[in-house]
Amino acid sequence: MRREVAPLSVVLAQQGPIPLDVALSCGPGELLALVGPSGSGKTTVLRAIAGLYRPASGRISADGDTWFDSDTGLWVSPQVRAVGLVFQDYALFPHLSALGNVRLAMLRLPEPERSRQAAALLARVHLDGLEARTPDKLSGGQRQRVALARALARDPKVLLLDEPFSAVDRMTRERLKEELAGLRRSLEVPILLVTHDLEEAQALADRICVIHAGTTLQSGTPDDVRLRPNSPLVARLMGHTNVFEGTIVQASAGSGEGRIRWGERVLRVATTGGFRDGDRVAWLIPSGYIALVDAGADDGVAKGTLIEVTPLGEMTALGVRVGPDPHTLLRFKLATRDIAARALAPDSPVGVHLHPEGIHLMLPVS
Amino acid sequence: MVSKVLRAASAPVRLLLLGAFVWLGTACVQAEEGPVIAAAADLNFALTEVAQRFRDVTGHTVKLTFGSSGNFFTQITNGAPFQLFLSADEAYVQKLAERGLMRDGGALYAVGRVVVYAPNGSPLKVDGALAGVAAALGDGQISHFAIANPEHAPYGRAAREALEAAGLWSKIRPFLVLGENATQAMQFATSGSAQGGIVPLSLVLASQVEGHGTWALLPESSHAPLRQRMALLKDADEVATAFYDFMQTTPAREIMQRHGFILPVSN
Amino acid sequence: MDWTAFALSLKLAVWTCVLLLPLAILIARALAWGRFPLKSVVESLIMLPLVLPPTVLGFYLLVAFSPQSTFGAFLKAIVGEPLVFTFAGILVASVLINLPFAVQPIQRALEAIPPNVREAAFVSGLSRWETMRRVELPLAWPGVVSAIALVIAHTLGEFGVILMIGGSIPGQTRVMSIAIYDNVQAFRTDQAAVMSAALLAFSLAAIALVHVLARWQRTTSHAP
Repeated sequence: MRREVAPLSVVLAQQGPIPLDVALSCGPGELLALVGPSGSGKTTVLRAIAGLYRPASGRISADGDTWFDSDTGLWVSPQVRAVGLVFQDYALFPHLSALGNVRLAMLRLPEPERSRQAAALLARVHLDGLEARTPDKLSGGQRQRVALARALARDPKVLLLDEPFSAVDRMTRERLKEELAGLRRSLEVPILLVTHDLEEAQALADRICVIHAGTTLQSGTPDDVRLRPNSPLVARLMGHTNVFEGTIVQASAGSGEGRIRWGERVLRVATTGGFRDGDRVAWLIPSGYIALVDAGADDGVAKGTLIEVTPLGEMTALGVRVGPDPHTLLRFKLATRDIAARALAPDSPVGVHLHPEGIHLMLPVS
Repeated sequence: MVSKVLRAASAPVRLLLLGAFVWLGTACVQAEEGPVIAAAADLNFALTEVAQRFRDVTGHTVKLTFGSSGNFFTQITNGAPFQLFLSADEAYVQKLAERGLMRDGGALYAVGRVVVYAPNGSPLKVDGALAGVAAALGDGQISHFAIANPEHAPYGRAAREALEAAGLWSKIRPFLVLGENATQAMQFATSGSAQGGIVPLSLVLASQVEGHGTWALLPESSHAPLRQRMALLKDADEVATAFYDFMQTTPAREIMQRHGFILPVSN
Repeated sequence: MDWTAFALSLKLAVWTCVLLLPLAILIARALAWGRFPLKSVVESLIMLPLVLPPTVLGFYLLVAFSPQSTFGAFLKAIVGEPLVFTFAGILVASVLINLPFAVQPIQRALEAIPPNVREAAFVSGLSRWETMRRVELPLAWPGVVSAIALVIAHTLGEFGVILMIGGSIPGQTRVMSIAIYDNVQAFRTDQAAVMSAALLAFSLAAIALVHVLARWQRTTSHAP
């Protein structure tokens, strides 16, 4: 399918019963992962795009067609929107075979073209030979492929996937991900994938959009959002555990370093961005930028007590309390063999070095 | 071939086909038409024979439906499609004529009689003065006694009058079993679950009932006369009219007499 | 053996099904998925014939159908004849009193369909009508079969209401059940015995046939 497709653009807003404050867009051929915890409204956004849920206000357009516009009262029914939606539990028609499921989405085509193209789609998702089976005789992974073929049967302008990998085992998941990646090369439509699994999002998406309690918080490439979240909330949603508060002691000027105060300590940071002296900030540091050093080492090192040592196979998880305040617990992982040499025991004094490049500043929680 | 067509058609189409088929089928079966005649229940056996003779003579069929005269009165007032009404009580016919539903005042076709009846095995002794009933009541041997419903069946009314005349009405009331019409009363009386009853003479004379019990005629003086009158409805057709005329001819009258009816003086 | 009465019972059962099924399907859909005020009131009204004595139903129908009432006069204007004591009248009554027997099983079967299967149909481009035809009805088919079996069995056995508003007019309203009653009253017990046996055999055959058809339909393919 090679054709010029305009981006998907979604803006939604309502107070209740499901609060929504959504703004996202997805370009043709791009895969946007909508990431958030359960109950964050991800599925509602998908349903709104598909035409199964009508929010109070907003605008949805895809490939130049406007499907929803609360200003003009425009609402296009799901039948007319060419949307491909793969439901979380696939929602296959139980009384029809795999071929029948796909054919039912192609009623606009006459026979025998309909059956021919349906069979071709099934082959494309590697289900040839299983056309005659009904859903109850297919495995979870096979059912998902039928659902995908059915979604593609509409020649959709947008492909929506609702937690597609949550219900299958790990091996199948890996295989499906590879197939999806392969399929993407020939699909030139925006693909919106909803998931609560960060790793999945990182692995598959071109861009991710973080959503929480119905509000889209930040969109960007996976690395952008992960390494440079714009708020402590996004940081936590992206899995950061080392999120703290501090104050700018010395703003960086030009390309020089800056300094922030964290409790009793002063830390060096690579840049303070647009913050000025005295500003309160929130900051984070990823695990990879924390090093364990001798307790007796000189400055630039924060001294603390080793609280937790948890071996996790190749890596070991460590927790270091820096200072009396419980909000100063640093968590990070190091290679197990590196730690073995140090003979660390709980409650022993240690020093940690926080690399200035890794410290990222954000607006604090008000 | 048929199965292929059936398979191709969807369920609703199949159902419609079945419906059409049934309608056609029933249309064939209902080929025999004929006017519907409402007749008092006591005419059950007599009129069936008359209708048979009518068919032999004229070749025309009539459809008989039996019930209590009072019920028919109500149905006719509500537009029931009868063409001829043979009532067991002329008052009903007269009322209908007053309402302009009948062609005319009709004609008297018979006078009915009632009997007291006891099925075989019942302790009840039958006699015209109802002394046996009184005795059985006194001995507590009667638990059920069948009559037609006096509210709308003329023969039930006559039964009540006869019981009142014998001074037995209040005593026997708790044990009364009321039939919808005279034939149902007869049913109860012969079934053995009642010890007896007061029923039309025309019903006990029927061959189907013979030998199942004993009976005694109640004197005419014990109740208001059962003057049975018949009349054609306004839009009655020729067959109904022919039957109405036939009822007043000798062959019909002879049949009625055999079934225990007293005939009015022939016009 | 009163063939007219037998044919009449058959006619009444089949035509009640033909008229009632589309109506029951629409009502069952509305109750299964619709959201409207007074929904529970509507459900209770439909269940009414299950709990009311036939004589109460018969009485109200008699009053409603009587050409003297406004509703009855309106019906007479449409149908062309007064509804009491006619086949049309007992057919209308039969459709009304069989509503719960038809609506209930179909409603339950429709409710058992997962909601996102319907949504999948919409998203696949199927209109509401096509969804009903190709997805909802095939999935609810066992419910429809139950409804048909119940309606046929119930109609063949219906007595009180038909007697009250139809009377016992041969060829019009004297259905099998009433003909048996008449025959018992008129001491034609052998006739009554023959007809009772025939009605019993026929009812069993009808229900068995309906179930066989359902099983046969399920095994044949449902390709759209």
